[in-house]
Parts: sequence; C-alpha cells; structure tokens
Amino acid sequence: MDFSFFGELLEEEREITPEVTEGYRNLWVAAEAADGTLPPSTLEAIGQAREIANQIGVYVWASLLGDGVEPLAQQLIAYGADRVLVADSPSLAEYQPEVYVKILADLVGQHRPEMLLMPATSLGNDLAPRLAQRLNTGLISHCLKLTLDMSERLLLGTCPALGGEVYHTFACPQARPQMATLEPGYFRIPSADPYRSGEVKRVDLDLGGVTGRLSWLEREASVELPPVPLSRAKIVVSAGRGMGDAEGFALVQRLAEVLGAALVGSRGAFDEGWIPEDRIVGVGGQFIAPDLYIACGLSGDIYHYFGVQSARCIVAINPDENAPIMKVAHMAVVGDARQVIPAMLNALGR
Amino acid sequence: MRMVIPIKQILDPAGITVRRDKERIFINREEYIIDPGSKAALEAALRLKEERDQAETIAISLGPARTDDALREALAMGCDAAYLLSDPAFEEADLSVATLILAAAVRKLGGADLILVGRQSGDTGAGQIGPRLAEALGYAQVTDVYALAVENGAARTTRRWGKGYATVQVQLPAVVTVAPEAFPPRYPHGARIMNAYREWNVPVWGCADLNLEPSSLTPLLTFRGESFPPPLEPERFRGNPTTVAQEVITALTLHKLINPGGGSHGL
Ligand SMILES: Cc1cc2nc3c(=O)[nH]c(=O)nc-3n(C[C@H](O)[C@H](O)[C@H](O)COP(=O)(O)OP(=O)(O)OC[C@H]3O[C@@H](n4cnc5c(N)ncnc54)[C@H](O)[C@@H]3O)c2cc1C
Ligand SMILES: Nc1ncnc2c1ncn2[C@@H]1O[C@H](COP(=O)(O)O)[C@@H](O)[C@H]1O
Repeated sequence: MDFSFFGELLEEEREITPEVTEGYRNLWVAAEAADGTLPPSTLEAIGQAREIANQIGVYVWASLLGDGVEPLAQQLIAYGADRVLVADSPSLAEYQPEVYVKILADLVGQHRPEMLLMPATSLGNDLAPRLAQRLNTGLISHCLKLTLDMSERLLLGTCPALGGEVYHTFACPQARPQMATLEPGYFRIPSADPYRSGEVKRVDLDLGGVTGRLSWLEREASVELPPVPLSRAKIVVSAGRGMGDAEGFALVQRLAEVLGAALVGSRGAFDEGWIPEDRIVGVGGQFIAPDLYIACGLSGDIYHYFGVQSARCIVAINPDENAPIMKVAHMAVVGDARQVIPAMLNALGR
Repeated sequence: MRMVIPIKQILDPAGITVRRDKERIFINREEYIIDPGSKAALEAALRLKEERDQAETIAISLGPARTDDALREALAMGCDAAYLLSDPAFEEADLSVATLILAAAVRKLGGADLILVGRQSGDTGAGQIGPRLAEALGYAQVTDVYALAVENGAARTTRRWGKGYATVQVQLPAVVTVAPEAFPPRYPHGARIMNAYREWNVPVWGCADLNLEPSSLTPLLTFRGESFPPPLEPERFRGNPTTVAQEVITALTLHKLINPGGGSHGL
C-alpha cells in the first residue's frame, strides 16, 4: 500500500453532480431481528441514524425483514425510527443474500433514501457489500464513527485500517444512497421512549422469482481451530509463579481458551512444571510481539520483559503494585489474579 | 471443478510502525506479502484440489507490476495458473472498480465453480470484495467460512454466524470468503519456488484484454483523511474484582484487542 497518494486524493477538487444526488431523502437503517429481539447493534444504528437525521432535518426509516418480526417494529419507533417498513413472511425465516438484496434494492428504488446504515454483524457484513454492488453505490464498512460534511451533505465514515492502528475516513459523493456498516459496540444505544409515535407499513413481497441458494443445515455447529504458532498469536496469556498452584494455573489456561489466545509463562511457571520449556517467554526463551499480552501472577523481571516489550498492549494482574511488570503495563490491575480471572471469565460470559 | 482465487498483495505489517503519539506511520522496510486472508483462500482452494482428480486452481490479482511476486508465490504453493490484472487505468481502483476488474477476469477465464477470497484484507480490511464479486457475477455467496467441503455441485460450509457457527450448504457457482484463522497456509515447496520464476508464465491483462473502458472505472469512494486512535495511556485498575474485571474487559473491547461475542461478527 502506497500511502502517499492519499494526500493527493485529499487535494482533489470535489464536485457533486446534482442529478446523482437529487431526489434522495431520509436516512435508513436496515434493522435486524435475532431470536425475537432487536440486538444492541441494531439499536446502536437507530440511535446514530436519529442523531444524523436531526442534524440534517430528515426522517429515520427502518426496514425489518424476517419471520414473525412485526411486533418489533413498534420498538424500533420507540428507539428513534419514524417509519418502519416490515417484510414479515415465513419465506424470510432464513437469511438468503439474494432474497434480502432483492427486497432492499426494490425498497431503495421506490423510496430513494439518502443514506443507508446497517450494523456490521454477520448478516450485515454479508449483505451490505452485495446490496451496494446491486445499487452501484459506495459502502464504507466497519465504521467506528460517522460524521457529516454539512457543506456537501456527505456522510463521512471512519473505519479501521492496518488492524486498527490507523483510521481512514471516506465519503461517497457521486452515488446514492451513501452506505455504511457500523461496528457493534462503538455507538450509543439510545433510550427507548414507548410513547414515541411513528408509522409501521407492511411491504408487499414481490420476489420476482428470486430464490435463495443456501440451505441452513445446522444452527449450532462447532469448529475446531488449528493451533496458532506463538510467533503469530495476536493474543497471548501468560502465567507466573504467583498463580500459586495447579488450580490457579488452570484459571489462566481457561482464560487463554476463552480468548482464543496462546498460553505461555515465565521461568517461574516453568519451574512449577505448568508450562513446557518452549513456552517460556523472555531472553532465555521466546520473543513475541502480540497485540495483547495478559500477564497473570508474574513479576515481569527484566529477563522476562525483554521477550514481550514489543507487545502492543500489556495487561498485568498482580497484587503488588511495585512489581516490575506493573510499571510497564498499559493496564495494571492491582489485585489477586485468582479472583480477577474468574470475574473476567464471567464478564466474557463464560 | 474450476476454482479462482483473487489474491491481494499488501505491505508487510511487520515492516510498519505506527506511532499513535506522533500520529505517523513509519515504513521501516518496504516489503510486500500476500494478504493473510488471500493466503487462507489459496490454502482452502489447494485443499479442495488435493481431494479430487479434476480440479483447477487459478490465482488472479489486481495490482501494480510488483504483484507478480505474489502470484508466483501462489504458483509455488500449488496453483495451476496465475494472471496479473494490471493497467495504468486500474491504479485508482476502489472496491467497486476492483470488483468490475476481477469480475471481468473471471468471465475471461470462462467463469468458475468456486471463487475463494479472504474475509477481509489485511490492510484496509473492508471485507467487501467477496459479496460484491458474487453480485457482479450472479453467483451465490457464503462469508466468514471456517470449514469447507464440496460435493455434487454444492459446497458445505461452516460459517461464523453471530456468536456461534452454522452449517450452510450453497449451490455452485459460489463465492466463499474464508476466515484466515481456520486455514493456516502451507509453505511453498522449494522446487516449486524455483519453477515459479523459471518456468511459469504470469500473463498480464489490462483494459483491452478484459474489454473494459477506462471511463467505466470511476471510483465511488473518496478518501477524506487519516487519523489515529488515541495512544494507550497507562491505566491502573483497583478495587472489587468483579468491577475491575468488567472495566478491563470493556477497555480491551473498545481498543479492539479482544472480540467478546465475536465482535464484528456478533449480533
Ligand atoms: C540469565 C537469566 C535468564 C533468565 N531468562 C528468563 C526468561 O527468559 N524468562 C523468564 O520468565 N525468566 C527468566 N529468568 C528468570 C527471571 O529472572 C525471574 O526469576 C522469573 O521470570 C520469575 O518468574 P515469576 O515472575 O513467575 O515469579 P516471581 O518473580 O516469583 O513473581 C511472582 C509474582 O506473582 C505475584 N503474585 C503473588 N500472588 C499473586 C496472586 N494471587 N495474583 C497475582 N499475582 C500474584 C507476586 O506479587 C510476584 O510479582 C532468567 C534469569 C536469569 C538469571
Ligand atoms: N486487488 C485485489 N486483487 C485480488 N483480490 C483482491 C484484491 N483486493 C481484495 N481481494 C480479495 O478480497 C478479499 C477481501 O478484501 P477486502 O474486501 O478488500 O477486505 C482479500 O482477502 C482478497 O482475497
């Protein structure tokens, strides 16, 4: 990737051809229903849409597709939608990209929204690019932030690049609708107002012969992931002598499992017989550079620290505030790892 | 069965340092690699090829002349053929333009039964090429796939779906985007590396070869600037273990260091 051309692009004149943007109005959210509820990611998108719509003085519309989803329409209104278009049919019980694209593309063609937001969920990530291609428009995916360029009424989407180390901002001046997917967890969930009024409209389904080509065979499948070589592990969880005994070490093991992390340790952990020799991190062992290193119950002696100094973020859990690792950690958790780790597992929903 | 694998060449992240505090990117070593997502797609294709007698794997890549190296690496890994899509008119391609070019190349190759790409590319991470290509070609699609088998004109996949996984069967022709963590790539064979440069030919296709009008290649997205996440300031957490644990998990999630509930894949 050559970064120099970005500068040049910025300099370029930006002109908008009116015929491209004319007649497009209002802000849309393609809402999702999951297990009979509206997931937080959809509420976040509604909240963000409401904020932008208020700034430019337009309505928020939401589309809701699925089987038995109509009762949720009123909730979308409570969270900020002005009008909800519901396609409720047993034929939509299962997600089919072509069918969903057909319905949404038809609705967009009829109502011409200016902007279309979707949550960056499994479904949104699958559907949004295909819909954008059908509509011949641009899509800014995985946005962490949305702003407006009021002078041109442009949606500016900021999304991560280089694994989240850098953010890039894009706009789509020449095509409508301006589409963006919103990364879950980055936008505020608005508070619901059960007295908010709005309109619910049922959509007459005309699939025009389009059928899905997927068969959903099993919902609760599992996969076994191959082990990641230590040198490439993004998350590494590490144990030290401070974990006390095999039971304490097992907590660290469990944390690594839940986070999909590689498991390593200090020389101390090796001496205790918890980890094999090739899993010692430090000058006398492995040098690693993960994005995240969680050091549990280890002192972080300089011999050890040398092996992880390139980690992007070090989290240390240690009751001793003055342990060397606590001085270099980005997040220093002062506490007993035998209590903190179970609470972390709990917070992770395990 | 014909498989086409669009691969992307990216700057090796190991040669880049991002200094959030200085708001600058330092390129210490300008080396290029095959994007990990594309490499996983190659691996997935080569595994399918090994399982059957009649299978063909073709790597294609849109990029400047140096992308030739990535395609030769794909050949060394075991691909049967490789094509470079390169033309001065392609230089400003965004995702929608890249889709047009890649789709034109697939058509010129006579179509495919299966197109395999990465879930997201390693640098810009848009995750759009797969579904866009499926739409451009009218193929079916399954994204974020962790396991893949092909039988009787259909692919059986295990895909990420929300917080879990689902088994989904898809009719061919289809585009499948793969999760890099599920398909660790093989190393190219020594002898094949030599051959990749000595014996194989990597044809270059430009606008004329693909029947594309340069004027039809106008990007839709414009770049509006670069910014940096705030640097990680050292932080201390103390107090009740339950509260502290919750705070740490929240901080890690916001910094995108962990992915509870599948993060971008979760509902
Ligand atoms: C030449 C040389 C090379 C070396 N190379 C390496 C190397 O490559 N790698 C390496 O790791 N070591 C290496 N060492 C050893 C190193 O000096 C340390 O002795 C070792 O790292 C200490 O291991 P530790 O942190 O697990 O144990 P300790 O130093 O005993 O630390 C235990 C820590 O756990 C904390 N603790 C206690 N209870 C709890 C609790 N309930 N919850 C949380 N925390 C708790 C304590 O406060 C303490 O900070 C080397 C030494 C030498 C001399
Ligand atoms: N320029 C390109 N040439 C060929 N394939 C590409 C190109 N860009 C992206 N791809 C493929 O599409 C996948 C997803 O890329 P993206 O949509 O950019 O995140 C990558 O992993 C590649 O397999």
